[in-house]
Amino acid sequence: MTRRLDRTQALLAGALAVLGVMTVYSAHADWNRQILWVLLGAAAYVAATVYDYRRLSSIAPTLYGAMLLMLVAVHLAGHSALGARRWLSVAGFPLEPSEISKLILVLVLAAYLARHEQISWRVFGGGLALLVPPAYLVLAQPDLGTTMVIAAVTLGMLYLGGARPAQLLAVVAACAVALPLLPRLLHGYQRRRLEIFLDPNQDPLGAGYNLLQARIAVGSGGMFGRGWLQGLQGQLGFVPERATDFVFATFAEEFGLLGSLVLLTAFGVLLIRVLRAASVAPDRFGELLAGGAFVMVFVQVIQNVGMNIGLMPIAGIPLPLISYGGSATITTLAALGLVQSVVVRRRPVVHPESERRGLGTISRRAQA
Amino acid sequence: MIELGGATPRPRWSLRLIAAATAAVVVMGLLAVKLAQLQVADGSRLAALAESNTVHRVILEADRGIIYDRHGVPLVENSPVWTVVIVPAGLPSDAAARAQELVTVSRLAGVAEPKLADALFTADPYSSVDVATGLTQAQELAINERLPELVGVSLVQHAVRTYREPLVFGHVLGYVGPIDTADAKRLRDAGYQPDEMIGKVGVEAGLETLLRGRDGWQDVQVDARGKVIRVLASQEPVPGDAVYLTVDASLQRATASSLAAGLARDGKTAGASVVVDPRTGEVLAMVSLPAYDTNLFTHGISRAAYDSLLHDPDRPLLNRAIAGQYAPGSTFKMVTATAGLQEGKITPQTLLNCPPYINLGGWIYHNWASYSLGRMNVATALATSCDTFFYQVAAMVGDVTLAKYARAYGFGQAKEIEMPGVMAGLVPDRIWKQIQCGVPDLNSDACRWSEGDTITFGIGQSYLLTTPLNQAMYAAALANGGRVLRPTLVHEARDATGRTVLAQKTEVTSTVPASAGTIQAVREGMREEINPPYHMNYWFRASGVPADGGGKTGTAQWGGSGLDLPTHAWFIFFAPYAQPEIALSVFVERGELSEVEAAPIGVDIMKFYRGNIGAIRSGAP
Repeated sequence: MTRRLDRTQALLAGALAVLGVMTVYSAHADWNRQILWVLLGAAAYVAATVYDYRRLSSIAPTLYGAMLLMLVAVHLAGHSALGARRWLSVAGFPLEPSEISKLILVLVLAAYLARHEQISWRVFGGGLALLVPPAYLVLAQPDLGTTMVIAAVTLGMLYLGGARPAQLLAVVAACAVALPLLPRLLHGYQRRRLEIFLDPNQDPLGAGYNLLQARIAVGSGGMFGRGWLQGLQGQLGFVPERATDFVFATFAEEFGLLGSLVLLTAFGVLLIRVLRAASVAPDRFGELLAGGAFVMVFVQVIQNVGMNIGLMPIAGIPLPLISYGGSATITTLAALGLVQSVVVRRRPVVHPESERRGLGTISRRAQA
Repeated sequence: MIELGGATPRPRWSLRLIAAATAAVVVMGLLAVKLAQLQVADGSRLAALAESNTVHRVILEADRGIIYDRHGVPLVENSPVWTVVIVPAGLPSDAAARAQELVTVSRLAGVAEPKLADALFTADPYSSVDVATGLTQAQELAINERLPELVGVSLVQHAVRTYREPLVFGHVLGYVGPIDTADAKRLRDAGYQPDEMIGKVGVEAGLETLLRGRDGWQDVQVDARGKVIRVLASQEPVPGDAVYLTVDASLQRATASSLAAGLARDGKTAGASVVVDPRTGEVLAMVSLPAYDTNLFTHGISRAAYDSLLHDPDRPLLNRAIAGQYAPGSTFKMVTATAGLQEGKITPQTLLNCPPYINLGGWIYHNWASYSLGRMNVATALATSCDTFFYQVAAMVGDVTLAKYARAYGFGQAKEIEMPGVMAGLVPDRIWKQIQCGVPDLNSDACRWSEGDTITFGIGQSYLLTTPLNQAMYAAALANGGRVLRPTLVHEARDATGRTVLAQKTEVTSTVPASAGTIQAVREGMREEINPPYHMNYWFRASGVPADGGGKTGTAQWGGSGLDLPTHAWFIFFAPYAQPEIALSVFVERGELSEVEAAPIGVDIMKFYRGNIGAIRSGAP
């Protein structure tokens, strides 16, 4: 089984998790705990790899129900921080259901879309309908960022699942119509964030402070960075939320453009590997599962890095595998483990012209 | 369970998967471009911003030099003052904890809570805000004890000048105050900070460069809450020099109390006295009354207290000793006598009449006595202070020559002494009077120098003005045989290592162009005045002070010309007669009779001097 693994993907996930622990350590967060999260995530990764992902298809409705229950529980018994109610306490550990809901939604949508080879308007509407309850519950926490992520995951999976351009355009048109209503739907601080994104200098010591300090941190890293543990902005606390939302600024200050490019390349290659898993998947469910994992990671990387360098408005989205946080780290590693499970169970199809390659495999085996 | 075996499948890249992969590559590329722009193109600018965020220069205040009297008695101290400083961003982020902390600080520092909140939330959240200054020691201890739990709160110490006996030494020492914007701009190159204290008046201002020292600095790295993480570089401050004044603290106190008692005796409220050593020009005491509490200025004066000082009719802020300008009256007669003798108009033996008045072109000029005092020589004329005698001498000498001798004795000259605000007084002459007119007009009485101006000039009236300091130096010149010395308040200055950086040295600014015999004849008159049969001797006898020396009183009219004008009372004196070692001036504002109001004050000072001569003249520190 190990022979069939996508080792590149496993190596990149591991390397990113190590970089994550290093950065979290540098950001003065609880790095021992982050190591624990990574270890738990690694266990989840292995378990997911071994587990036959195809069995998930049948329990998807149950998972969907469990996800909604957790999200409702957050509203009833959640802990709040920074004005939002996001955490459940499970055996003393904080659990962030909205993080887990990203993966569950991927599974549920994959299972749902796998049953339909063609995406009719009815199927398309059904996919969107699956998004509405979790999106509403997450938005009400309030957590606009995660809502946008799960919405993007839904749209991305509909696209990869074969939605027609007209259907996607209809969603875009609906958004365009809803846009003028946005200011009324947003909470005060969310509207403020959007305004600050549009003009960060209007309040340099107030709400724009975070954005400016993060940008200063990234810029002051220069080409080669100030060196691990040597950052000024991150080490001295000028970068806000330096281990979570703005972890990339901490990283970029210490490792410079070179390190940042290495990080982006690692994410890029990882994402391509995940897409490749989709391309080799033995069934439509596996293909959609890997495609969903791709969108989930991709959207978060764009949003987090983009926010850190001022290309995106501020939203509390972690950088997968790098940001401090148990739920996010474990969810991401479990998702990648499921992708691995798809790779391991890829189609044993032998094309005529690939026999030489097959022979090659056999000859390598003989050498082993 | 798992279908193992088989060859590697060929990936089936659908169009949509290829689009997704392309999107991933393009987006990563865009992020990389933006990163390159931030980290390379804007990198150095943003790195500089990061430095200025995190590296702060902290000024280490140099201790200001201590001012001592000539024996090393400290006259001022740098007392520590504690200030509570809060960095708003450093306060607990939890609203309840922050409110709790502010209640604690407000209680411990004795600041009203709304005021505290106001100061904090109107300020830049990353700046240090002084919320309470001038804490008592009990408050400082109480806050210090709780400091570990008071996040974002710190105690900062700095020194405040506290003057000992400000009512006695205030006009000599002056005070320090916050630098004003004009000075701050002018002195920025000398390293003055915009909130620095600088000497405003008195020796504090005159010796600013010695007393100030040089501030040090520390470049410190701070975190976002303003907490110092490490010191990157520093320069130790250099304390200001210790200054030993020529003033003798005990004689200064005695001068102040003698003057205060003398004023009180006659219901007067303002006066001044300067005591000098006629051999060196050292000022042993300098008093101006009324005095005021200079500590009010260093510890923060209220608007009301300042206004009342400013509008007090007795003008306590005016240091009359150096800046009060008054006609010298009869104390000027030694100048007229010197001029008459030296110019050969009279000899020590020449006898002139002393009538009750003289008639000059129809104008009547009175003597102080309404009867004739008979014929007399110059010494007796000085002793009896005969005005009509000196009218005649002045007329013989003429105004131009009289002005020359007045200037030679140091009249009309701003003394170079170690404090700002010294006034020159005025020696008038015919050119001055024409210029005063604005549009010169030789036929106007207001512009034309008259014979009357000359003869009243001869008795220290007309337009003549002098200061108590100039009078003391004039007395000193008469004492030492005609040398006008530069007065000095500084005996010695030493830097922090104890090295002498400035030592007193005697400087002669001018010498009276008169023979020894001339000066001798003038001094003889001053000696006679305080000896029998003249009644001023009464004060010496009453005090038990030997009348060994020379003195001269003066009751100067002011506020125009004519009879029954208000007067000021003067007394100048030196002693002993043969080898004078002390000279002084006493001035009583609105004093009516100098022999009764001014002279006893001088005798009182002399009594103290003679009684404590050993201590006063003992070695310097």
